[in-house]
Amino acid sequence: MTTPQFTDAELLAYLDEALPSETMAEVERWLRSDAAGLARLADVSARRDAGVHSLSEIWRRHHLSCPSRQQWGSFLLGGLPAAEAEFCRFHLQTAGCRRCQANLADLERQQGRQSDAAATRRQRYFQSSAGRLPSGS
Amino acid sequence: MPIAESDQLLVERVRAGAPHAWQELIARYEGRLLAFVESRLNCTAAAEDVVQETLLGFLTSLPNYDSRRPLEGYLFSIAAHKLTDHLRREGRRPALPLTATDSSGQWQPVAGGRGASSLVQSGERRCLEEAALVAALTEQIDRLRSRDEWQQLACLELLLVRGWSNQQVAAALGQSQQTVANTKSAFLERLRSLVRRQEPHPDVFPELYPQ
Repeated sequence: MTTPQFTDAELLAYLDEALPSETMAEVERWLRSDAAGLARLADVSARRDAGVHSLSEIWRRHHLSCPSRQQWGSFLLGGLPAAEAEFCRFHLQTAGCRRCQANLADLERQQGRQSDAAATRRQRYFQSSAGRLPSGS
Repeated sequence: MPIAESDQLLVERVRAGAPHAWQELIARYEGRLLAFVESRLNCTAAAEDVVQETLLGFLTSLPNYDSRRPLEGYLFSIAAHKLTDHLRREGRRPALPLTATDSSGQWQPVAGGRGASSLVQSGERRCLEEAALVAALTEQIDRLRSRDEWQQLACLELLLVRGWSNQQVAAALGQSQQTVANTKSAFLERLRSLVRRQEPHPDVFPELYPQ
């Protein structure tokens, strides 16, 4: 079995739960089987804690090249120019942006009108948290 | 109304304790948060619990939330933490060892660089440097978008966000390695010139000032 090769940028993204879910699982398998992997991850994390900026982390954290939710809506409706739609597909599938994948999945669900389940869920979230609302000024 | 402004108003109403605002915030964001968490858990009930913890976490942290920060990103970062906690409890996500790479217990830059202790910066300085980089990156990315240079943007995402090598990127995009190298070099050169005005120490931007 070959050892998977993850870049430092990918390990930082792993720490932030930002890699595609299959890649996250691959990193976890690697970390469980290779002590050197954990040491490398600790090093990447320590470097960040020491104040070293990472282009990848800043780009990712600020979602600088992510299409907006409105653009994802247009993408679903087939309303984007071909080249831009192609970039959106690339951003999802090859760059593997988790937040955009989640936004698109949510929009697709809304289009599928799973509204009863969503309404029940939202009511449950509200009831379990409303007691923690600030008392207001 | 732009989303950021609408979110800010919503958060202000939540801060004031308005139940309808809180319901609206939940309705606006829970679906995407659930999709994010579900992609890792494959168990809807557990994913819903994590989203519930995320929303409670948001209310708990509300006094410290800077509403100039995009709300969606803030909620996703709480969800990522709650998800990480859940996966650790399940034993899927290994805990990081509390060891570093040198005997002092601190990360050290490569020979010739400064020690970690001198790199640890004030939060303010770090924020300024990050803001400078975000502004420079945004300017360049907007420029690529406005020129419909989507292939270049795709190339830069793989190079700089995923950290792939020129060779990997060339293979993934069907471009020559020379084209990839040229895209990277031109982008980093413009970025360096934009960031240089802030006079950051080279050690804190190693990708911009390779040794």
